[in-house]
Amino acid sequence: MGNVTNENIINLNTAITFEAETFRRIQPEEYLRRYIQQHVRPDGRSFNHFRKTTVNLSCITTADGSSMVRIGNTTVICGIKAEVSEPNVNFPKEGYLVPNVDLSPICSPRFKPGPPSEQAQVLSENLNKLLKNSKVIDLETLCIEEGKAAWVLFADLVCVNYDGNVFDACVIALMSALMNVRLPEAVYEDGIVKATEEKTIILGLIRITYSASFAMFDGQHLLVDPNEMEESITKDGITVVVDETGKLCNIWKTGSSCSSEQLKTCISKARDRYADITSIIEIAKQAIKKIE
Amino acid sequence: MSSRLELIGPQGLRTDGRRFNELRNMNCKPSVLSQADGSAYIEQGNTKCLAAVYGPREARTKAQVLHNRANINVEISLAPFSMEERKKRSKSDKRILEIASAVKQTFEPIIMTELYARSQIDIYLQILQFDGGTVQICINAATLAIIDAGIPMKDYVCACSAGCIDDEPVLDLNHLEESNTPELTVALLPKNDKITLLQMESRLHIDKFQQVMEMAAKGCKEIHTVLDKAVRENIKDLLKKSSI
Repeated sequence: MGNVTNENIINLNTAITFEAETFRRIQPEEYLRRYIQQHVRPDGRSFNHFRKTTVNLSCITTADGSSMVRIGNTTVICGIKAEVSEPNVNFPKEGYLVPNVDLSPICSPRFKPGPPSEQAQVLSENLNKLLKNSKVIDLETLCIEEGKAAWVLFADLVCVNYDGNVFDACVIALMSALMNVRLPEAVYEDGIVKATEEKTIILGLIRITYSASFAMFDGQHLLVDPNEMEESITKDGITVVVDETGKLCNIWKTGSSCSSEQLKTCISKARDRYADITSIIEIAKQAIKKIE
Repeated sequence: MSSRLELIGPQGLRTDGRRFNELRNMNCKPSVLSQADGSAYIEQGNTKCLAAVYGPREARTKAQVLHNRANINVEISLAPFSMEERKKRSKSDKRILEIASAVKQTFEPIIMTELYARSQIDIYLQILQFDGGTVQICINAATLAIIDAGIPMKDYVCACSAGCIDDEPVLDLNHLEESNTPELTVALLPKNDKITLLQMESRLHIDKFQQVMEMAAKGCKEIHTVLDKAVRENIKDLLKKSSI
């Protein structure tokens, strides 16, 4: 696509014509519109097609639970480290689960080195809200001794390749890493927490939620799983989070208005997507079982 | 508890089962990221590193512009889950800054920066899992990523560490070994055997120095063959794809 030949750049006899790549750079919105009119997206997908998603569990051995998720080119690695800390005075029976997203400059030329960008902080906060409001994990199971000691799970998500729809990738990475966590057995004795060498305890997840994101183009075309280019051109985005029973857990809607019909299609597509992700993670679990 | 850690077992094997002159298992792959101009992923034993190169591109601030050559910017970040102990290491951590500066100084004379005056080359390194040998893996990953980005370099830069356990020189130390023994990191230009970087931060007897150094240089050569193979295979793949 990137070959620009001299005779194609300017043809003086007729109207000015451009090579597709030039057109994309000058008029990205119009470029996308031309594709949408043909009912296809610039990367060849149909509107309802998710990119290929893969999950790789236990990829970081220094972490207590880890997962690498790829959606198309978008790649997110989640590593969970467990530490012992004193519980919050107001919730003496509860541990902590702290998600943190890092959009480092490695993942896209858009991100600059320095303190976490607004986008990264919004992603972290959205994940935190999702975990809390949907009660993904019972924080009381992380308690070691009431008021004295509890587990703190630091879930660090590093985006290594940013090609749109990072939130979906983060949710899948976080959920699958939580499933992958193995904690040692810990006992509280006279102010000291003793933990066994072996890590055997699996976290009990109450609810497993996955998200599906959509981009809306020109207020009528719903593009599933938008990539970086589509995300940057379209102003409207919808993210729907559902749990295993198909119940809604969260909806984020940004940009201008959309009809309730469109929202309904989003929800039903999110439910279909849930089943797909479940089977992808099942495959990943089988893969590590074989190695073990 | 024994007062001293046994780093070499009775059969003369090290804690991870290697012999004295054996490198850790090395996996590398260039062109792993779609957004970067050049990228590479390297595993050396349990140390895993991802490198991305952006550029040559416009410098971010005017102060960084050099009128006669490109400015090289190296940033290293350690993933919070990369170490045994979770520590939020900021990018301004002095130890990391020092490594970044060592990498930068290694590449400055090797990359032909004079071809890209007034521009900037960014090298971002992300350590995903840490088990010793940060400097060497950063240099090796950066070499692959720079080649992948198509930025002209005078030669490969290959780095390797070596140390001395019980008067015996050993190659490619892991984290357990490097915290207990003197370590020497060497970066070499394999074509003319010139050393571009040499780091040693603890005491080592001068009689042993030559041996350890030679061992590290040998390790660099081995790493060079692995990197070179990866680059050639990657180019072959590229040719196959473009010919279709």
